[in-house]
Amino acid sequence: MTLFKEVTAVESLAVKKTARLSLLGFFMAMPPVLVIISFIGAPILLALAFSLGFITGPNRIVALIGQEIYPKTSWWGTLDAFKSVINDSRFPGDLKTTLTVTIVSTTLVIIMALGMAIYQRIIGGRIASILVALSLVPLFVPVVISAFALRTFYDGTGFLKTVFYHIGLNFPTLTMTSNAVVIGVIWTSLPFAILMISSGMQSVPDALIESAQDAGAGFLRIVATIMIPLAFVPIVIATTFTAIGIMGSFTIPYFLGANQPTMLGVEISNFFGPYNRPQHSVVMAFIIFSAAAGIAILYIWANIRSAHQSGRI
Amino acid sequence: MSIANESLGLELIGLNKILGGRIIIENLDLSVKKGEMVSLLGPSGCGKTTTLRMIAGFLRPDAGRVILTGNDVTTLGPDKRPSAMVFQNYALWPHMSVFKNVAYPLKIRKMSKNEIIKRVHEALGMVNLMHHKDSRPSQISGGEQQRVALARALVQEPDILLLDEPLSNLDAKLRIKVREDIRDLQRRLGITTVIVTHDQDEALSISDRIAVMSDGKIEQFANPQALYDEPSTEFVANFIGSLNRYTGDFYEGRIQNGDKVVGIRPEDVYFTANNVPDGQPATVDLVVPRGHFYEVYLSSNGYKIRSFMSSEIPQVGENGFVKISKALVYIGGKLAKVA
Amino acid sequence: MTKTQTKLNLQSNSWLVRILLLGFLAFMALFILGPLIWLAIRAFVTGWTFPNLFPDGFTLRWWKVIAGDESLINAIKNSLIISPIVVIVSAVICLPAAYAFSRYEFWGRKTFIIGIFAANAFPKIGLYASIATLFYTLNLMGTILGVIIIQVLGTIIYMTWIPAAAFSSVSRNLEDAARDAGASKIRVFWDITLRLAMPGILVALVMSFLAAFDEAQGTYLVGVPTLYTMPTKMYALVLNYPVQISAVFSLLLAIPSVILITMARKQIIGGQLADGFQIK
Repeated sequence: MTLFKEVTAVESLAVKKTARLSLLGFFMAMPPVLVIISFIGAPILLALAFSLGFITGPNRIVALIGQEIYPKTSWWGTLDAFKSVINDSRFPGDLKTTLTVTIVSTTLVIIMALGMAIYQRIIGGRIASILVALSLVPLFVPVVISAFALRTFYDGTGFLKTVFYHIGLNFPTLTMTSNAVVIGVIWTSLPFAILMISSGMQSVPDALIESAQDAGAGFLRIVATIMIPLAFVPIVIATTFTAIGIMGSFTIPYFLGANQPTMLGVEISNFFGPYNRPQHSVVMAFIIFSAAAGIAILYIWANIRSAHQSGRI
Repeated sequence: MSIANESLGLELIGLNKILGGRIIIENLDLSVKKGEMVSLLGPSGCGKTTTLRMIAGFLRPDAGRVILTGNDVTTLGPDKRPSAMVFQNYALWPHMSVFKNVAYPLKIRKMSKNEIIKRVHEALGMVNLMHHKDSRPSQISGGEQQRVALARALVQEPDILLLDEPLSNLDAKLRIKVREDIRDLQRRLGITTVIVTHDQDEALSISDRIAVMSDGKIEQFANPQALYDEPSTEFVANFIGSLNRYTGDFYEGRIQNGDKVVGIRPEDVYFTANNVPDGQPATVDLVVPRGHFYEVYLSSNGYKIRSFMSSEIPQVGENGFVKISKALVYIGGKLAKVA
Repeated sequence: MTKTQTKLNLQSNSWLVRILLLGFLAFMALFILGPLIWLAIRAFVTGWTFPNLFPDGFTLRWWKVIAGDESLINAIKNSLIISPIVVIVSAVICLPAAYAFSRYEFWGRKTFIIGIFAANAFPKIGLYASIATLFYTLNLMGTILGVIIIQVLGTIIYMTWIPAAAFSSVSRNLEDAARDAGASKIRVFWDITLRLAMPGILVALVMSFLAAFDEAQGTYLVGVPTLYTMPTKMYALVLNYPVQISAVFSLLLAIPSVILITMARKQIIGGQLADGFQIK
């Protein structure tokens, strides 16, 4: 069977791009990098040192002001501050709350965003556009206002409580509970998730969906085997950004959550300010950092994997 | 009106389609025999792709019926029709290997793993791509991608194969080779095939019959030779092959005054130094070499006539005689007479 | 039973699906808009006693109260002065970098891109606690400069990634054609590249302004009690003033957001925002 055989010799693959390294480009890119190194990178290192008990030099002032500081006991520092935090009666509850709220909220946000994005892609129409537009409204609203509005809506004199009162039922007061925090972070996280996932879904070419139909695939199979894999990177971006944002959030839990246990973001602020235990505050920050780093690695992996797949790397 | 006929691979009856307020397809009828290779040929906007998509099931006709091997499939979606399409840009799923792309339709049909492997290997063997079965689409060339798309369509053992501008993305030399291969494959497998193309060379060289389309209608549906020798409408005469075109009439071997449309193929025009029966005096204005033939521009009786000649090429300015062996006369767009 | 022909010719069982969808639509409208409308009304009411379905009365007096309160006016002024400064500073620092990321290959390019993202991916509140440590040392706590720096940090990712994607989307062919027509490199950048990348840059400017204007956590940590912006003032308002005052302040705080995003909505929904967040 010699069909198509000679054709191979005629065809050629794409030429790999060669690029000169640019010195100008390096310097142009420097400013934001320097700002980040100075005001994010350096503080992180300082704070790491502080959390491990290095209280001299730049950390001196904050060590003097703060209470219950654990100075280092060996050349690499000490784990006393970490132990103190973990043994603190408040910490386990806070950690559990933070993780639960993050996992539950992220899951719900992604499911909602996926649902609406797929609906918009496959079926389209006015209802789909209205749904997506609604989901973007929170983008317009500063977080402080959102938190306050949500609190007023769900508190003891809130909307549902009023409505249910007239029906004769008692709708529970949601504020000061983790449930309100979940509602609040979902509310604020939807816009970005929808933007990402919807853009990913729209980028799936019609032809790829149609060829699956032509091969005999039904709706669910197309979603599972074609659309979601092809929108993989935006979905991962949405998931990681949402999760990281929720994990470290402050304003929403501050307004809507309970005093105890609360999300770690609020606790960090509490320990730094009112309780005046800056070292504990910083330790907690690193615990969140570590969790966030794990999630961020997922994001980077997803980007690299997709770049491999599409032949960019 | 025709009865559903099992010996017909495809029947389109009274198809109508309006898109964006415009009538794209109007009362279109077409009957394709089983195992026949048919092209839908026409300029952009003539409705050929719309027709193909209605056959495949991506568009629902506003009126009319689509019948595949005797079964009315008009209300069925593309996933339920026994048709398989090769898309213009191949539409290979980038996140699946070549093997998985071709295996996808079989997975849907819930075949056993061994059966799938056997059938996929068979299909890849037919297009000679076994050596790339684990590659990703991004790692193979355009021509190879097309073959994967072809294999994916064939692996479904469809009743009808649909090809959307299959050669438009390939370079010229490749086109000729690939279209021959497609033709050979189609003959061997005996699958009813419909190809959409705007390239008449392509259509003329591999089709059993060609449906020349314009403005949502089929101007003429015939085999290549008939289209060329006796184009039934002015549009077809203009679209297929080259044409000298005049307003007038034709008799006594020469162009006359009149209000009809006269078409003369350059191949039917000869220049000779000496007079011949039915010859007219003529002068050579221009001679353009075209590789394996020459375009010779003549003036005769006040008309400019183009001729294709491959021997005894005259010089520019030479005086002689022109013989027109055949002319097509159209009244109201339709072929009235062949002179 | 009608079957809808959808955009991609997938059948849908009309009645059940439609009802579920309309139900979901109603739920979403309530979920998203409810709290906002609930709050907005309160900016115009004298009071609203629970559990009445309607407010006690309507008035504009709360607006006058705000206009008369000096600390609130100061907060508004601070916001309106500092935010544009932050955007300008951020643009000056980041736009050249955005161009470099898009057009040049240089040592560390991928690392920097990932680094900028990583810095933004970390939870802000933990970050601010660490920065406070640094700021104490540099005597930046409670200063305008400190607040500006903190707000700039939040804008960097918008000001680098989105314009970078915008620059990347300008086809080299267009630039080459301009060079061929005789334009110098700078001319090409100004007439062609910048012009075509403008929608993306506008989105970045808008998102950065909003990020700065609405920034609360960092500004709270660094500025309070010396310097208040509108968002940080909200915290105090919520604790000490009646809800109507907070409602009015909320509407005021929301005005720039609504104006800017309405102006830039086509670009945001058009994918400039989403494009910017993929590492290319």
